[in-house]
Amino acid sequence: MHSLVTASCLAIGIAFTTIASALGIPAPYAAIVVQPSGLPARHEFDLTEALARARRENKRLYVYLGASDCPYCRKYEAFLEKNAVALVPKFAPQYIVVDLRSALTATAAQLFIRIRDKSLPYADFQRAIGDERARMLVYPSVWLLDADAKPLMQMPAGTGTFQTVDEQLEILRLEQ
Amino acid sequence: MRRKTFIGHLFGTSVGLGFSAGGLLAGARVANAAVGGLPAAATHADSSPEWEKLRESLFQSRPVDTTPGTVQIIAPLRAAYGASVPVKIVSKLAQTPELYVKRIYLLVDKNPSPIAAVIDLTLEVGQADFETRLRVDEYSHVRVVAELSNGRLHTDSRYVKTSGGCSAPPNREALDLIGKTVLKLPEPATMNRPTTADVTVLHPNDTGFELNQITVMYIPAHFVRSIKVSYADRKVFDAELDFSLSENPTLRFNFVPHGGGQLKAEVEDSKDGHWVGTLAVG
Repeated sequence: MHSLVTASCLAIGIAFTTIASALGIPAPYAAIVVQPSGLPARHEFDLTEALARARRENKRLYVYLGASDCPYCRKYEAFLEKNAVALVPKFAPQYIVVDLRSALTATAAQLFIRIRDKSLPYADFQRAIGDERARMLVYPSVWLLDADAKPLMQMPAGTGTFQTVDEQLEILRLEQ
Repeated sequence: MRRKTFIGHLFGTSVGLGFSAGGLLAGARVANAAVGGLPAAATHADSSPEWEKLRESLFQSRPVDTTPGTVQIIAPLRAAYGASVPVKIVSKLAQTPELYVKRIYLLVDKNPSPIAAVIDLTLEVGQADFETRLRVDEYSHVRVVAELSNGRLHTDSRYVKTSGGCSAPPNREALDLIGKTVLKLPEPATMNRPTTADVTVLHPNDTGFELNQITVMYIPAHFVRSIKVSYADRKVFDAELDFSLSENPTLRFNFVPHGGGQLKAEVEDSKDGHWVGTLAVG
Protein backbone atom coordinates (compact mmCIF):
# COMPACT_ATOMS: atom_id res chain seq x y z
CA MET A 1 0.00 0.00 0.00
CA HIS A 2 1.27 3.39 -0.85
CA SER A 3 1.96 5.84 1.87
CA LEU A 4 -1.21 7.42 3.08
CA VAL A 5 0.46 9.73 5.51
CA THR A 6 -0.37 13.37 5.31
CA ALA A 7 3.11 14.82 5.34
CA SER A 8 4.23 17.26 7.92
CA CYS A 9 5.13 20.76 6.99
CA LEU A 10 8.60 20.28 8.33
CA ALA A 11 9.42 17.25 6.23
CA ILE A 12 8.20 18.83 3.03
CA GLY A 13 9.82 22.09 3.92
CA ILE A 14 13.21 20.45 4.05
CA ALA A 15 12.69 18.91 0.65
CA PHE A 16 11.56 22.11 -0.96
CA THR A 17 14.26 24.40 0.33
CA THR A 18 16.45 23.09 -2.43
CA ILE A 19 13.84 24.00 -5.02
CA ALA A 20 13.48 27.67 -4.28
CA SER A 21 14.64 30.04 -1.66
CA ALA A 22 12.98 33.17 -3.02
CA LEU A 23 9.80 34.42 -1.42
CA GLY A 24 6.72 35.52 -3.27
CA ILE A 25 5.81 35.81 -6.93
CA PRO A 26 8.99 36.09 -9.04
CA ALA A 27 10.00 39.54 -10.26
CA PRO A 28 9.31 38.98 -13.99
CA TYR A 29 5.58 38.89 -13.22
CA ALA A 30 5.74 42.47 -11.90
CA ALA A 31 3.33 41.65 -9.11
CA ILE A 32 1.82 44.20 -6.82
CA VAL A 33 3.07 43.07 -3.42
CA VAL A 34 0.59 43.58 -0.60
CA GLN A 35 1.86 43.20 2.94
CA PRO A 36 -0.61 42.60 5.76
CA SER A 37 -1.66 45.34 8.12
CA GLY A 38 -3.12 45.06 11.61
CA LEU A 39 -0.50 42.60 12.84
CA PRO A 40 -0.31 40.64 15.02
CA ALA A 41 -4.01 40.34 15.78
CA ARG A 42 -5.06 40.28 12.17
CA HIS A 43 -3.57 39.94 8.73
CA GLU A 44 -5.51 42.35 6.57
CA PHE A 45 -4.82 42.61 2.85
CA ASP A 46 -6.17 45.58 0.97
CA LEU A 47 -7.14 44.97 -2.67
CA THR A 48 -8.49 48.47 -3.25
CA GLU A 49 -5.48 49.83 -5.15
CA ALA A 50 -5.08 46.71 -7.26
CA LEU A 51 -8.73 46.78 -8.26
CA ALA A 52 -8.49 50.46 -9.16
CA ARG A 53 -5.50 49.73 -11.37
CA ALA A 54 -7.32 46.81 -12.99
CA ARG A 55 -10.15 49.17 -13.84
CA ARG A 56 -7.78 51.77 -15.27
CA GLU A 57 -5.90 49.24 -17.38
CA ASN A 58 -8.93 47.16 -18.29
CA LYS A 59 -7.33 44.03 -16.87
CA ARG A 60 -8.13 41.20 -14.52
CA LEU A 61 -6.50 40.41 -11.20
CA TYR A 62 -4.56 37.23 -10.53
CA VAL A 63 -4.52 37.33 -6.74
CA TYR A 64 -2.05 34.97 -5.10
CA LEU A 65 -2.14 34.32 -1.37
CA GLY A 66 1.14 32.83 -0.21
CA ALA A 67 2.67 32.24 3.18
CA SER A 68 6.23 32.91 4.19
CA ASP A 69 6.56 29.49 5.80
CA CYS A 70 4.62 27.41 3.27
CA PRO A 71 6.67 24.97 1.19
CA TYR A 72 3.88 24.48 -1.34
CA CYS A 73 3.98 28.22 -1.94
CA ARG A 74 7.72 28.01 -2.66
CA LYS A 75 7.00 25.14 -5.02
CA TYR A 76 4.47 27.16 -7.02
CA GLU A 77 6.67 30.25 -7.02
CA ALA A 78 9.58 28.14 -8.26
CA PHE A 79 7.37 26.81 -11.04
CA LEU A 80 6.47 30.37 -12.05
CA GLU A 81 10.09 31.40 -11.98
CA LYS A 82 11.28 28.45 -14.03
CA ASN A 83 8.63 29.06 -16.68
CA ALA A 84 8.59 32.85 -16.67
CA VAL A 85 9.68 33.11 -20.31
CA ALA A 86 6.67 31.08 -21.40
CA LEU A 87 4.17 32.42 -18.89
CA VAL A 88 4.83 36.14 -18.40
CA PRO A 89 3.74 36.98 -21.98
CA LYS A 90 0.48 35.16 -21.26
CA PHE A 91 -0.10 36.84 -17.92
CA ALA A 92 0.90 40.37 -18.79
CA PRO A 93 -1.67 41.35 -21.45
CA GLN A 94 -4.65 40.23 -19.39
CA TYR A 95 -3.71 40.02 -15.73
CA ILE A 96 -2.28 42.14 -13.00
CA VAL A 97 -0.66 39.78 -10.52
CA VAL A 98 -1.22 40.59 -6.86
CA ASP A 99 0.98 38.92 -4.26
CA LEU A 100 -0.57 38.77 -0.80
CA ARG A 101 2.17 37.85 1.66
CA SER A 102 0.81 36.01 4.64
CA ALA A 103 1.98 33.32 7.06
CA LEU A 104 0.63 29.91 8.01
CA THR A 105 -0.14 31.22 11.46
CA ALA A 106 -2.76 33.50 9.94
CA THR A 107 -5.92 31.44 10.32
CA ALA A 108 -9.15 32.00 8.47
CA ALA A 109 -10.46 34.05 11.37
CA GLN A 110 -7.40 36.30 11.39
CA LEU A 111 -7.06 36.82 7.66
CA PHE A 112 -9.06 39.77 6.34
CA ILE A 113 -9.56 41.08 2.82
CA ARG A 114 -10.32 44.75 2.46
CA ILE A 115 -11.93 46.43 -0.54
CA ARG A 116 -12.36 50.15 0.01
CA ASP A 117 -14.15 50.63 3.34
CA LYS A 118 -15.25 47.03 3.75
CA SER A 119 -13.02 44.48 5.42
CA LEU A 120 -14.17 40.87 5.78
CA PRO A 121 -12.61 37.82 7.40
CA TYR A 122 -11.61 35.10 4.94
CA ALA A 123 -14.74 32.94 5.11
CA ASP A 124 -17.10 35.91 4.92
CA PHE A 125 -15.15 37.35 2.01
CA GLN A 126 -15.40 34.03 0.17
CA ARG A 127 -19.12 33.81 0.80
CA ALA A 128 -19.60 37.41 -0.25
CA ILE A 129 -18.03 36.76 -3.66
CA GLY A 130 -19.66 33.34 -4.07
CA ASP A 131 -16.43 31.35 -3.77
CA GLU A 132 -16.91 27.76 -2.57
CA ARG A 133 -13.62 27.80 -0.69
CA ALA A 134 -15.13 29.43 2.37
CA ARG A 135 -14.88 26.33 4.47
CA MET A 136 -11.13 25.99 4.67
CA LEU A 137 -8.22 28.36 4.16
CA VAL A 138 -5.48 26.66 2.18
CA TYR A 139 -2.09 28.10 1.29
CA PRO A 140 -1.39 28.95 -1.45
CA SER A 141 -4.66 30.17 -2.90
CA VAL A 142 -5.38 32.00 -6.13
CA TRP A 143 -8.36 34.13 -7.10
CA LEU A 144 -9.09 35.36 -10.61
CA LEU A 145 -11.09 38.54 -10.20
CA ASP A 146 -12.47 41.16 -12.52
CA ALA A 147 -12.07 44.83 -11.69
CA ASP A 148 -15.21 44.68 -9.54
CA ALA A 149 -13.76 41.82 -7.45
CA LYS A 150 -16.11 39.34 -9.06
CA PRO A 151 -14.58 35.87 -9.50
CA LEU A 152 -14.05 34.89 -13.13
CA MET A 153 -14.31 31.21 -12.26
CA GLN A 154 -14.29 28.90 -9.29
CA MET A 155 -10.68 28.12 -8.42
CA PRO A 156 -9.45 25.04 -6.59
CA ALA A 157 -7.88 25.12 -3.16
CA GLY A 158 -4.12 25.10 -3.58
CA THR A 159 -2.16 25.35 -6.80
CA GLY A 160 -1.24 21.72 -7.34
CA THR A 161 -3.52 21.32 -10.33
CA PHE A 162 -1.85 24.06 -12.35
CA GLN A 163 1.84 23.56 -12.02
CA THR A 164 2.57 22.69 -15.60
CA VAL A 165 2.72 25.37 -18.28
CA ASP A 166 -0.26 23.86 -20.11
CA GLU A 167 -2.34 23.77 -16.96
CA GLN A 168 -1.37 27.30 -15.93
CA LEU A 169 -2.49 28.43 -19.37
CA GLU A 170 -5.77 26.54 -18.88
CA ILE A 171 -6.32 28.63 -15.79
CA LEU A 172 -5.49 31.88 -17.56
CA ARG A 173 -7.95 30.93 -20.31
CA LEU A 174 -10.59 30.27 -17.62
CA GLU A 175 -11.16 26.68 -18.77
CA GLN A 176 -13.59 24.85 -16.53
CA MET B 1 -17.79 -10.31 -8.91
CA ARG B 2 -19.56 -9.19 -5.78
CA ARG B 3 -19.01 -5.54 -5.01
CA LYS B 4 -17.36 -5.96 -1.60
CA THR B 5 -15.01 -8.54 -3.01
CA PHE B 6 -14.19 -6.24 -5.84
CA ILE B 7 -13.46 -3.36 -3.48
CA GLY B 8 -11.24 -5.61 -1.37
CA HIS B 9 -9.40 -6.62 -4.48
CA LEU B 10 -8.76 -3.03 -5.35
CA PHE B 11 -7.47 -2.25 -1.89
CA GLY B 12 -4.95 -5.00 -2.31
CA THR B 13 -3.64 -3.44 -5.48
CA SER B 14 -4.53 0.08 -4.58
CA VAL B 15 -3.60 3.12 -6.54
CA GLY B 16 -1.80 5.50 -4.27
CA LEU B 17 -3.45 8.10 -2.17
CA GLY B 18 -1.56 11.27 -2.67
CA PHE B 19 -1.92 14.53 -0.94
CA SER B 20 -4.35 17.11 -2.07
CA ALA B 21 -4.48 20.19 -4.17
CA GLY B 22 -1.15 21.83 -3.57
CA GLY B 23 -1.58 23.73 -0.37
CA LEU B 24 -1.23 23.93 3.36
CA LEU B 25 -3.96 24.43 5.86
CA ALA B 26 -3.62 27.73 7.60
CA GLY B 27 -2.75 27.33 11.23
CA ALA B 28 -2.86 23.53 11.13
CA ARG B 29 0.68 23.11 9.87
CA VAL B 30 -0.42 20.01 8.06
CA ALA B 31 -0.02 19.41 4.37
CA ASN B 32 -3.28 19.25 2.49
CA ALA B 33 -2.00 18.98 -0.96
CA ALA B 34 -0.35 17.15 -3.73
CA VAL B 35 2.71 18.18 -5.54
CA GLY B 36 1.41 19.52 -8.79
CA GLY B 37 2.34 18.94 -12.36
CA LEU B 38 0.45 15.68 -12.76
CA PRO B 39 -0.41 14.54 -16.28
CA ALA B 40 -2.81 16.92 -17.91
CA ALA B 41 -3.16 15.40 -21.33
CA ALA B 42 -6.21 13.17 -20.76
CA THR B 43 -9.45 14.12 -22.41
CA HIS B 44 -12.90 13.69 -20.93
CA ALA B 45 -13.72 10.76 -23.20
CA ASP B 46 -10.53 8.78 -22.63
CA SER B 47 -10.42 5.33 -21.17
CA SER B 48 -8.03 4.35 -18.38
CA PRO B 49 -6.54 1.07 -17.17
CA GLU B 50 -8.73 1.29 -14.09
CA TRP B 51 -11.86 1.75 -16.18
CA GLU B 52 -10.99 -1.20 -18.39
CA LYS B 53 -10.63 -3.31 -15.26
CA LEU B 54 -13.86 -2.02 -13.79
CA ARG B 55 -15.75 -2.53 -17.01
CA GLU B 56 -14.67 -6.12 -17.24
CA SER B 57 -15.53 -6.80 -13.60
CA LEU B 58 -18.90 -5.11 -13.65
CA PHE B 59 -20.13 -5.73 -17.17
CA GLN B 60 -17.96 -8.52 -18.55
CA SER B 61 -18.12 -8.49 -22.34
CA ARG B 62 -21.33 -6.46 -22.63
CA PRO B 63 -20.95 -3.45 -24.92
CA VAL B 64 -20.95 -0.05 -23.21
CA ASP B 65 -22.20 2.66 -25.55
CA THR B 66 -20.30 5.94 -25.39
CA THR B 67 -22.53 7.72 -27.90
CA PRO B 68 -23.83 10.97 -26.37
CA GLY B 69 -27.57 11.33 -25.94
CA THR B 70 -28.68 8.87 -23.28
CA VAL B 71 -26.84 9.84 -20.12
CA GLN B 72 -24.56 12.74 -19.24
CA ILE B 73 -22.26 13.44 -16.32
CA ILE B 74 -21.47 17.02 -15.36
CA ALA B 75 -18.48 17.83 -13.15
CA PRO B 76 -16.02 20.72 -13.03
CA LEU B 77 -12.53 20.33 -14.49
CA ARG B 78 -11.25 21.62 -11.15
CA ALA B 79 -13.34 21.71 -7.99
CA ALA B 80 -12.82 23.92 -4.98
CA TYR B 81 -11.91 20.90 -2.86
CA GLY B 82 -11.04 17.37 -3.90
CA ALA B 83 -13.03 16.13 -0.94
CA SER B 84 -16.22 17.62 -2.30
CA VAL B 85 -16.49 17.55 -6.08
CA PRO B 86 -20.02 18.34 -7.27
CA VAL B 87 -21.31 15.80 -9.78
CA LYS B 88 -24.59 15.74 -11.68
CA ILE B 89 -25.99 12.83 -13.65
CA VAL B 90 -28.53 13.77 -16.29
CA SER B 91 -30.68 11.17 -18.02
CA LYS B 92 -31.93 12.05 -21.47
CA LEU B 93 -34.48 9.28 -21.22
CA ALA B 94 -37.93 9.61 -19.63
CA GLN B 95 -38.74 6.79 -17.22
CA THR B 96 -41.50 4.90 -19.05
CA PRO B 97 -42.59 1.28 -18.60
CA GLU B 98 -41.40 0.58 -22.12
CA LEU B 99 -37.84 1.79 -21.48
CA TYR B 100 -36.25 3.29 -18.42
CA VAL B 101 -32.97 3.64 -16.56
CA LYS B 102 -32.87 0.63 -14.29
CA ARG B 103 -29.49 1.11 -12.63
CA ILE B 104 -26.85 3.81 -12.42
CA TYR B 105 -23.19 3.21 -11.63
CA LEU B 106 -21.12 6.19 -10.50
CA LEU B 107 -17.40 5.52 -10.75
CA VAL B 108 -14.16 7.34 -9.94
CA ASP B 109 -11.42 5.51 -11.81
CA LYS B 110 -8.46 6.39 -9.61
CA ASN B 111 -10.03 6.25 -6.19
CA PRO B 112 -8.99 3.38 -3.93
CA SER B 113 -12.64 2.37 -3.91
CA PRO B 114 -13.77 3.41 -7.38
CA ILE B 115 -17.43 2.37 -7.20
CA ALA B 116 -18.90 5.41 -5.53
CA ALA B 117 -22.54 4.43 -5.98
CA VAL B 118 -24.78 1.81 -7.54
CA ILE B 119 -28.36 3.04 -7.67
CA ASP B 120 -31.30 0.76 -8.48
CA LEU B 121 -34.12 2.83 -9.87
CA THR B 122 -37.83 2.40 -10.41
CA LEU B 123 -40.33 4.24 -12.55
CA GLU B 124 -41.20 6.21 -9.42
CA VAL B 125 -38.22 8.54 -9.94
CA GLY B 126 -39.92 9.93 -13.03
CA GLN B 127 -36.65 11.40 -14.24
CA ALA B 128 -33.39 9.55 -13.52
CA ASP B 129 -31.26 12.57 -12.63
CA PHE B 130 -29.01 12.58 -9.57
CA GLU B 131 -26.64 15.03 -7.94
CA THR B 132 -24.10 14.37 -5.25
CA ARG B 133 -20.59 15.28 -4.09
CA LEU B 134 -17.62 12.99 -4.43
CA ARG B 135 -14.16 12.60 -3.02
CA VAL B 136 -11.73 12.48 -5.91
CA ASP B 137 -8.29 11.47 -4.74
CA GLU B 138 -6.19 12.40 -7.73
CA TYR B 139 -6.54 13.32 -11.39
CA SER B 140 -9.21 10.91 -12.54
CA HIS B 141 -12.09 10.25 -14.83
CA VAL B 142 -15.48 10.30 -13.16
CA ARG B 143 -17.93 8.09 -15.02
CA VAL B 144 -21.57 7.23 -15.08
CA VAL B 145 -22.91 4.03 -16.58
CA ALA B 146 -26.67 3.80 -17.06
CA GLU B 147 -28.14 0.35 -17.45
CA LEU B 148 -31.48 0.48 -19.24
CA SER B 149 -34.42 -1.83 -18.73
CA ASN B 150 -33.62 -3.44 -22.07
CA GLY B 151 -30.19 -4.37 -20.76
CA ARG B 152 -28.21 -1.85 -22.79
CA LEU B 153 -25.41 0.11 -21.14
CA HIS B 154 -24.64 3.77 -21.83
CA THR B 155 -21.79 5.78 -20.37
CA ASP B 156 -20.37 9.27 -20.14
CA SER B 157 -17.27 10.59 -18.41
CA ARG B 158 -15.47 13.73 -17.29
CA TYR B 159 -11.84 14.19 -16.43
CA VAL B 160 -11.46 15.92 -13.08
CA LYS B 161 -8.25 17.54 -11.93
CA THR B 162 -7.97 17.36 -8.22
CA SER B 163 -6.33 15.22 -5.64
CA GLY B 164 -6.27 14.29 -2.01
CA GLY B 165 -9.97 14.08 -1.29
CA CYS B 166 -9.45 10.93 0.73
CA SER B 167 -6.74 12.45 2.83
CA ALA B 168 -8.26 15.86 3.35
CA PRO B 169 -8.47 16.86 7.01
CA PRO B 170 -11.68 15.60 8.59
CA ASN B 171 -14.34 17.93 9.82
CA ARG B 172 -15.68 16.79 13.17
CA GLU B 173 -18.09 19.26 14.60
CA ALA B 174 -21.25 17.30 15.39
CA LEU B 175 -20.44 13.67 16.13
CA ASP B 176 -23.57 13.32 18.24
CA LEU B 177 -25.65 13.95 15.14
CA ILE B 178 -24.17 11.08 13.10
CA GLY B 179 -26.91 9.39 11.13
CA LYS B 180 -29.42 12.20 11.28
CA THR B 181 -31.22 11.92 7.96
CA VAL B 182 -32.86 14.97 6.49
CA LEU B 183 -35.19 15.06 3.50
CA LYS B 184 -36.03 18.35 1.81
CA LEU B 185 -37.90 19.55 -1.23
CA PRO B 186 -36.18 22.56 -2.83
CA GLU B 187 -39.50 23.41 -4.51
CA PRO B 188 -43.06 22.45 -3.58
CA ALA B 189 -44.18 19.03 -4.78
CA THR B 190 -46.05 18.75 -8.07
CA MET B 191 -48.50 15.86 -8.18
CA ASN B 192 -47.95 13.28 -10.91
CA ARG B 193 -44.77 14.98 -12.09
CA PRO B 194 -41.13 14.46 -11.18
CA THR B 195 -40.45 16.42 -8.01
CA THR B 196 -36.92 17.13 -6.88
CA ALA B 197 -35.84 16.14 -3.37
CA ASP B 198 -32.63 16.05 -1.34
CA VAL B 199 -31.64 13.44 1.18
CA THR B 200 -28.68 14.27 3.42
CA VAL B 201 -27.18 12.02 6.06
CA LEU B 202 -25.06 13.78 8.66
CA HIS B 203 -22.13 11.43 8.72
CA PRO B 204 -18.32 11.79 8.53
CA ASN B 205 -18.19 9.09 5.83
CA ASP B 206 -14.69 8.29 7.00
CA THR B 207 -12.48 6.72 4.38
CA GLY B 208 -10.00 5.12 6.75
CA PHE B 209 -7.30 7.32 5.22
CA GLU B 210 -8.02 10.44 7.24
CA LEU B 211 -5.57 11.52 9.86
CA ASN B 212 -6.74 12.71 13.25
CA GLN B 213 -4.52 15.74 13.56
CA ILE B 214 -4.56 15.60 17.35
CA THR B 215 -3.87 11.90 17.92
CA VAL B 216 -1.97 11.51 14.62
CA MET B 217 -3.81 8.19 14.22
CA TYR B 218 -5.86 7.19 11.22
CA ILE B 219 -9.58 7.34 11.73
CA PRO B 220 -11.14 3.94 10.95
CA ALA B 221 -13.37 3.68 7.92
CA HIS B 222 -16.98 4.46 8.81
CA PHE B 223 -19.29 5.37 6.00
CA VAL B 224 -22.87 5.26 4.76
CA ARG B 225 -23.33 2.02 2.92
CA SER B 226 -26.88 2.37 1.66
CA ILE B 227 -29.78 4.78 1.32
CA LYS B 228 -33.18 3.36 0.39
CA VAL B 229 -35.83 5.88 -0.56
CA SER B 230 -39.54 5.20 -0.84
CA TYR B 231 -42.64 7.29 -1.26
CA ALA B 232 -46.01 6.19 0.10
CA ASP B 233 -44.45 2.76 0.66
CA ARG B 234 -43.41 2.44 -2.98
CA LYS B 235 -39.72 2.09 -3.71
CA VAL B 236 -38.19 5.05 -5.47
CA PHE B 237 -34.57 3.87 -5.48
CA ASP B 238 -32.00 1.91 -3.50
CA ALA B 239 -28.47 3.28 -3.48
CA GLU B 240 -25.46 1.24 -2.46
CA LEU B 241 -22.77 3.73 -1.53
CA ASP B 242 -19.17 4.03 -0.51
CA PHE B 243 -16.74 6.46 1.06
CA SER B 244 -16.07 8.03 -2.30
CA LEU B 245 -19.12 10.12 -1.44
CA SER B 246 -18.16 13.22 0.51
CA GLU B 247 -18.88 13.60 4.19
CA ASN B 248 -22.53 14.23 4.97
CA PRO B 249 -23.56 12.24 1.88
CA THR B 250 -26.27 13.95 -0.07
CA LEU B 251 -28.30 12.78 -3.04
CA ARG B 252 -30.56 15.04 -5.05
CA PHE B 253 -33.11 12.94 -6.89
CA ASN B 254 -36.62 12.99 -8.31
CA PHE B 255 -39.79 11.17 -7.34
CA VAL B 256 -43.35 11.30 -8.64
CA PRO B 257 -45.98 11.89 -5.95
CA HIS B 258 -49.39 10.58 -7.01
CA GLY B 259 -51.04 11.96 -3.90
CA GLY B 260 -50.17 12.83 -0.34
CA GLY B 261 -47.72 10.50 1.34
CA GLN B 262 -44.53 10.07 3.26
CA LEU B 263 -41.13 10.33 1.64
CA LYS B 264 -38.87 7.99 3.57
CA ALA B 265 -35.12 7.34 3.55
CA GLU B 266 -33.67 4.31 5.31
CA VAL B 267 -29.96 4.57 5.93
CA GLU B 268 -27.40 1.96 6.91
CA ASP B 269 -23.71 2.51 7.56
CA SER B 270 -20.63 0.33 7.68
CA LYS B 271 -20.89 -0.13 11.45
CA ASP B 272 -24.48 -1.38 11.22
CA GLY B 273 -25.95 1.94 12.18
CA HIS B 274 -29.55 2.34 11.00
CA TRP B 275 -31.47 5.58 10.68
CA VAL B 276 -34.66 6.73 9.09
CA GLY B 277 -35.66 10.14 7.84
CA THR B 278 -39.14 11.07 6.75
CA LEU B 279 -40.94 13.97 5.17
CA ALA B 280 -44.69 14.39 4.76
CA VAL B 281 -45.58 15.50 1.23
CA GLY B 282 -48.87 16.83 -0.06
